[in-house]
Amino acid sequence: MPLIGQLALALALILAAYSIVANVVGARRSIPTLLASARHAVWAYCAMVTAAVAALSVSLLRSDFSLEYVASYTSYSLPTFYKITALWGGQQGSLLLWTWLLSLFTAIAAFQNRRRNPEIAPYALATLAAVAIFFLGMLNFVTRPFDMLAAVARDGQDLNPLLQNYWMAIHPPSLYTGYVSASVPFAFATGALITGRLDDSWIRSTRRWAIFSWFFLTLGNLFGARWAYEVLGWGGYWAWDPVENAAFMPWLVMTAYLHSVMIQERKDMLKVWNLALIGMAFGLTLFGTFITRSGVISSVHSFTQSGLGPYFLTFLIVVVAAYAALLIWRLPKLRSPAEFESYLSREAAFLFNNLILVGIAFAVFWGTLFPVLSEAVRGVKITVGPPFFDKVNAPLALGLIFLMGFGPLIAWRRSSLDSLARTFASPAIFGLVTGACAFVAGLRQWYVLAALSLGAFVLGTIVVEFRRGVSARRHLVHDSAPAALVNLVAKNNRRYGGYIIHVGVVMAFVGIVASSFFRTEIKKSVHEGELFQVGPYSLQYLGIETTETPHVETSRARIEVRRDGKPIAMMLPAKLFFKRNQQPATAVAIRSTPAADLYVVLAGMDDQTGLVTFQIFLTPLVFWLWAGGLVMAFGTVIAMWPNVRERAAIAASLRAAAETPAVDEPLRRRA
Amino acid sequence: MPKKLRFAIGAGLMVAAIAYLIVTAVRNTAEYYLTVGEVKARQTALDGQMLRVAGRVVPGTISWNPATLTLAFGIAQPPAQDAGAAGLRPVAITAGAAVFHVICHGQPKPDMFAPGRDVIVEGRLDRDGVIEARQVLTSCPSKYAPKQPGAAQ
Repeated sequence: MPLIGQLALALALILAAYSIVANVVGARRSIPTLLASARHAVWAYCAMVTAAVAALSVSLLRSDFSLEYVASYTSYSLPTFYKITALWGGQQGSLLLWTWLLSLFTAIAAFQNRRRNPEIAPYALATLAAVAIFFLGMLNFVTRPFDMLAAVARDGQDLNPLLQNYWMAIHPPSLYTGYVSASVPFAFATGALITGRLDDSWIRSTRRWAIFSWFFLTLGNLFGARWAYEVLGWGGYWAWDPVENAAFMPWLVMTAYLHSVMIQERKDMLKVWNLALIGMAFGLTLFGTFITRSGVISSVHSFTQSGLGPYFLTFLIVVVAAYAALLIWRLPKLRSPAEFESYLSREAAFLFNNLILVGIAFAVFWGTLFPVLSEAVRGVKITVGPPFFDKVNAPLALGLIFLMGFGPLIAWRRSSLDSLARTFASPAIFGLVTGACAFVAGLRQWYVLAALSLGAFVLGTIVVEFRRGVSARRHLVHDSAPAALVNLVAKNNRRYGGYIIHVGVVMAFVGIVASSFFRTEIKKSVHEGELFQVGPYSLQYLGIETTETPHVETSRARIEVRRDGKPIAMMLPAKLFFKRNQQPATAVAIRSTPAADLYVVLAGMDDQTGLVTFQIFLTPLVFWLWAGGLVMAFGTVIAMWPNVRERAAIAASLRAAAETPAVDEPLRRRA
Repeated sequence: MPKKLRFAIGAGLMVAAIAYLIVTAVRNTAEYYLTVGEVKARQTALDGQMLRVAGRVVPGTISWNPATLTLAFGIAQPPAQDAGAAGLRPVAITAGAAVFHVICHGQPKPDMFAPGRDVIVEGRLDRDGVIEARQVLTSCPSKYAPKQPGAAQ
């Protein structure tokens, strides 16, 4: 098995290199057979990487401890499910997973574009293969997944207990899928820059890729937060750790990109900005890997740390420099004929939405790198913790939420104050009433009041928009109300999917604000049978029982939860002890309701006195963060769904593009 | 081009506002991030300040009271020779090496906390060289230093 994997990786490297040469030469000299051969090379290299992944998976499942990787991250007693997830539990495996996803997406892009985008596609595929060569080079020469141990280990060292968790099983693949699929739009942007075909065909051809990437970045961040919430046991879900920031920044920039491309498709503006954004998004995915692998910035949870930093940094600098050079070279051809006309226009709202999103990304970037920067400039490491990120991002988030209500409803080009008043009167009143109700209910923090009012305002605008659409359809085609709603969404899935995503964002935002402002924490040391009160709940500690499997020893406390005298739940917080690596772990118990989460941590056990200490968090509305995340995912699926009308539009625009020559003289003339 | 200028001003104001937010937030939240050795070198200057201190837990100095959730231990500067391989295979340090004592109240003992592990302590340093910690963060290496030689047992 290891030999097969090693060989497959070597062949993949050669095939990827060949596909670059064949694509570039084939495109410059217009040799269709060479381009076809390049495509076949892409598919073959994808098959090779797939074989390597299969080989490593089989070795993991078989517990082949002659392999260093298998011995380092699994053990005999590790449950089968985690033997598979150990594929991305360590560095070599996660790089292999990354490379595999890249090869899959390249193969799919090659298939999609076998007849489409004859000019851009070869260069885009060559760009993707160049990225793959970096990763394959690492896997072949620097950090090899199929390295053997000098002697077969009797048992492995087991997977980190923190990673033996459902969320950790799905979080890295989601995030990697999001990261890696962002390279497809990036590659097409590069192709557009190289060939000088700078109309929006590269955007249209990769729009679904961009949304796909955003979908998985969203889920990846959400799963990561959920993992932190359930596993790390501190009652929160986000600590602005460098590793989290590394996943958050590409999401922010992709969000900006998805919005600003609409301006280019519609108004032919912001061309340079869009090209810069996708370059930034791709650069940030590499940067994220760089900071989590290099140890340059100390993170609380860098699960893999190694000497890969310099390689990633070099690659990152080369990619950014090359892309920036291409962009600057093409700058004269990127002038936009249109310009912004009025602040009261959708273009302007989108422009400011972009500035805020990129501003947040920059603030996160700055805060993450601050220790490194301050050491370079002032010779002393200074760090900024979570309060920095909260202080900067809280007001920016309000601005963003406001624009989310304002942007989608305002007219393109310019809008009169009259029509503004008409459109926004009822949502604005709804927002103000909500804020007033919250005030009467006793809330006094200005930020919470503003957040609730703006959230209600956004929901109001979305309701208005849906109602307008439904009543228009009912007049036009005489649908019944539910049928009109379904057809409305189906016919304009991109737009209404977007609104659903916005609903999810509001839900998540409210959940985040409420859980940040109103979380309460209680610590209690109790004897068996003792009762204590947490908010509206009374909790009774009923004792501890210990169970044991060959893999893990569990001490589980039983707590009966009552409300108004009635028992409503039995909570079972636990301490685990993983035998193979002699590592304790905490399993929290969570009782989640839409109103509040009761979160119980078994914090300490005193064997002599029998006293058990619990740490308990009562967090209101945090439920809505997860629910909002799922609504966002649902809306994204709707927006991604294939749409017949849109396909026809793409085909038409591609036909039109094929008839007009590229902005620049074709490169082959010069060759 | 008055229109272009008008938008440039708006965008410029936005950028300036974000920059202002960043600068003031840095000013209000910055903490020194130092190693045990660096704190030792300038101890008097740091008296009473909020710090983040990176060090290694000294074996034999740990006391943990589960009833009051009080964790006390000594930290020391990790030996220089394994600085590059942080977390992979800590070099042993002895009980006498403790430079500062750390006391942390009211937090559960982190699961990854163990003798010889690298930790980051967030808190204030007092005159007697005791760090009153608000938080003890452990880094979690994906590989553990095996109890037995990992390769051939």
